[in-house]
Amino acid sequence: MAEAFAVLPCNGLDKPAGALAREVGLALREQGGALICPVLYAHQPARYARVLAGQTVLVVDGCGTRCASRLAAAGKLRVARKLLVTQACKELGESPGEALELDAGRLALARRLAAALLAAPPAVRGPQEAGFGGPVTYGQVRHDKFIFRVPTQGYFFNENNCWARVVGNRARVGISDYMQQQLTDLTYCDLPALGAQVEQFGEAGSVESVKAVADIISPVSGQVVAVNEALAEAPELINEDPYQRGWVAELELADFQSDRELLLDGPAYLALVKKQAAQYHP
Amino acid sequence: MAQVESKALLIPCSGIGKVHGLIAREVVYRVVEELFPGRADTLCLALLVKGDEQALAAVRSHPCITVDGCPRLCAYKNVELAGGRIEQSLRVVDAFKERKGAQPGTATALTEQGWQVTELLADQVAAQVRRLCPEEA
Amino acid sequence: MAEEEIKVGIISCSGEDLPAGTISRLATRRVLELLRPEQTVTICLPLFLAGGEGERAFARDFPTITVDGCAKQCAKWGTEAHSGPVSAALVVADLLGGDYAGQRSSRKLTARDEQAVALVAARIAEQVDTILAGTRTGKRAPGQGEEEP
Repeated sequence: MAEAFAVLPCNGLDKPAGALAREVGLALREQGGALICPVLYAHQPARYARVLAGQTVLVVDGCGTRCASRLAAAGKLRVARKLLVTQACKELGESPGEALELDAGRLALARRLAAALLAAPPAVRGPQEAGFGGPVTYGQVRHDKFIFRVPTQGYFFNENNCWARVVGNRARVGISDYMQQQLTDLTYCDLPALGAQVEQFGEAGSVESVKAVADIISPVSGQVVAVNEALAEAPELINEDPYQRGWVAELELADFQSDRELLLDGPAYLALVKKQAAQYHP
Repeated sequence: MAQVESKALLIPCSGIGKVHGLIAREVVYRVVEELFPGRADTLCLALLVKGDEQALAAVRSHPCITVDGCPRLCAYKNVELAGGRIEQSLRVVDAFKERKGAQPGTATALTEQGWQVTELLADQVAAQVRRLCPEEA
Repeated sequence: MAEEEIKVGIISCSGEDLPAGTISRLATRRVLELLRPEQTVTICLPLFLAGGEGERAFARDFPTITVDGCAKQCAKWGTEAHSGPVSAALVVADLLGGDYAGQRSSRKLTARDEQAVALVAARIAEQVDTILAGTRTGKRAPGQGEEEP
């Protein structure tokens, strides 16, 4: 990685994944990164103002709580790359282990994870605001006291209650109003990794409430070029505005012409919600 | 010098549809009945919305702490609308952002995890009551 | 849907200040979860009063039962103010023979409190049955499941 960077690891003291995250942070420091203490940053962010000025940040989270990501979002840091240790271990067929003390094997794993993070293509091309704004027209289905809204144009849906809004060669994805109401108040949103390749009907993150955890099943295939960082701190945005401010990820589309054949447009999804709502009993 | 008050009013949303509403309610009872009886009290939110004169006078003359279940903020909004002085506003759902995988129960009954969150939030409210209404008042 | 399904909305005061508010709340939950789960919907009164669109629309179009802890009848007042007349209005104090002295916290409920909940829940369920039996002439939804632009 040619440009200077800072590293913000989480402070997971009570989990093996947290210990690994710390070790990844130290390995990245050896590669020239400026290390940020998450606790000090949380309490006195001004102490890192000079370090962070003009630098991109690599964020390393141990587990799905994503404390480091949340700190970065709250501080509006320019995040170039992210690593979620538990997810990365799973992809490598490895385990964070059971012990907090890292053995030689885990130390080597930490260095591998750090190297992979440095080698990953940067994906901070950022969200493409133009085209995704603008008014949306909704149809709705009423069931008892529930009103489920569905955009009638410009959105495509799968039967997993997830949507994609396509503008040019990009699409934003998220979950539908029906799905967010089933889940009720969201407490977490696990965002997909920047740069990740997502297959149609593959996972593009997940959401959690006290009722359930639900995978976000992407209606389209492509590469994740932006994620909605605001959801790290405020997953309730999805409850409040599931089709616009609650977008989860933005993908550069791989083959929308093919993907589209397996998707439902607004009116067709409205009909599906009507059928599903008839069985809905919270 | 901070104004010393005789009593704080704790108003939960008591939302009946979600577990968060039950927790909000139980947080208030924990403080009002066990931690600070006499220094903290509650009143019916619906009575306030109805415009009951006594309820309105109470929120206008005592510091208020609202405990809402979810981001709809029914208690906060209605106490504010009634002219109440809100010293602290809590949202139960925020406590679960630090507790991935927690299963607190239902809108009817809490699990052990639900009661743990209740205790934690009650302590937060209690700290504010202690600050607003110190014992020497 | 071949035939429109009529459900009864139950709006409980959940009054925080009185034990009767706790009885009202728990009795409503009991009806919703145990006694008449397919026939009832509960309306969150705080959300209703704060302007909940779905809640108010339901109460306009479907029969409702209000369950209040005391004679101030906040749930009845709120429903009538924002949605229209109620089909039945119950007051816990009346059902239990006067001001009810019991526990407010669900963790401290006594056997007597549980009996009070059961009694009030049974009364609510009776009202649900009465309303549904008379629904040929009662309120009907304009078209539940209807797609609106």
